Amino acid sequence: MRLRVSGQDTGDDYDLDAVSGDAAGAGSIPAGVALNAFAEAICERDPAGIAAARQALVADLGKAAMVDAAAVIAGFNAYPRIADATGIPLEDAKHQATADLRAELGLDALNQSAD
Amino acid sequence: MGMMLNEAPVAMRAEVQAALEQAWAELGAAGDWLDGATRVGVAAEARRAWDCALCDRQKAALSPYAIDGEHDQTGALPAPWVDVVHRLTRDSGRLTEAWFDRALASGMAEDEFIEIVSVTVLTTTIDAYFFGIGLALPALPDAVTGEPARQRAAEAKTGPGWAATIAPEDAGPDFADFYANDSHFYIRRALTLLPAETRRLWALLNTLYLEDPRVYELDGLDRAISRAQIEFLAARASALLGCYY
Repeated sequence: MRLRVSGQDTGDDYDLDAVSGDAAGAGSIPAGVALNAFAEAICERDPAGIAAARQALVADLGKAAMVDAAAVIAGFNAYPRIADATGIPLEDAKHQATADLRAELGLDALNQSAD
Repeated sequence: MGMMLNEAPVAMRAEVQAALEQAWAELGAAGDWLDGATRVGVAAEARRAWDCALCDRQKAALSPYAIDGEHDQTGALPAPWVDVVHRLTRDSGRLTEAWFDRALASGMAEDEFIEIVSVTVLTTTIDAYFFGIGLALPALPDAVTGEPARQRAAEAKTGPGWAATIAPEDAGPDFADFYANDSHFYIRRALTLLPAETRRLWALLNTLYLEDPRVYELDGLDRAISRAQIEFLAARASALLGCYY
């Protein structure tokens, strides 16, 4: 997870539970609540939710930030689908480097079904 | 008709606009294994999936594979193709190797499967961006006449996931640059069974996120949000799709 790496680089401490749970910890990210609402609405294809979240995000960070946020969310509508459709595993080095994080977030319990 | 991005009410980075327009134009042209009409058909099916009642029920079910039925579909594609497009669009976090195996057992070539994935992902990604910035979705491009080469990449081997890919060490001189700067993460390799299609898709993805995620913070990059905000969005969107790659 590069969010943790970014925090280590800058000396910031982020609540990583915010990415996997109900995002209650999104407040540890600047404008995290608005960003989270924007990501949720786009991923759920909720037009009314997108409009409201867009407005809130523009109010918080401005139009340019909203457009850049939309680009990242759009990009991450691709990478997960590519990985999941082709069964791409984590690289060994990444698997080892994120062992603590995956345990912290309970991720190893997911995606264990054969069908 | 193009995407008419010059009429967008918000400014976007020039590289993003150029990549979007390029990707949309290429969507209607022959790919590596699918002709233009079929690619546009896959894109239309990816949009149709969002209004599919069967997908709604599968999404709500404890196991999506326990729910049978017929997808609401455009009618342009064979049923196994429709299932690939719809599940990938609506419930990608619960795709399994058995699902992949069934898709190939249905008669679709592995190369076709990869291009279906690529076109579905491209469509979903572009639509997500348009929804996000408040633009009406662009009309699908007209199909361009032309035939795909349909030539299997001989150097591709199965792995590291379910499908065949071109490993960095096996890449020929015409593709080795794709792995330049040691950027041979598995995700970048995932669709390389179709080298040209892979390049087309990544030309867009590189502009939306970061071409090289290993950069220290955002040194030299033009972004209006911080690296932490970018990574929060990346992680959150992945989690919402049920992916923890």
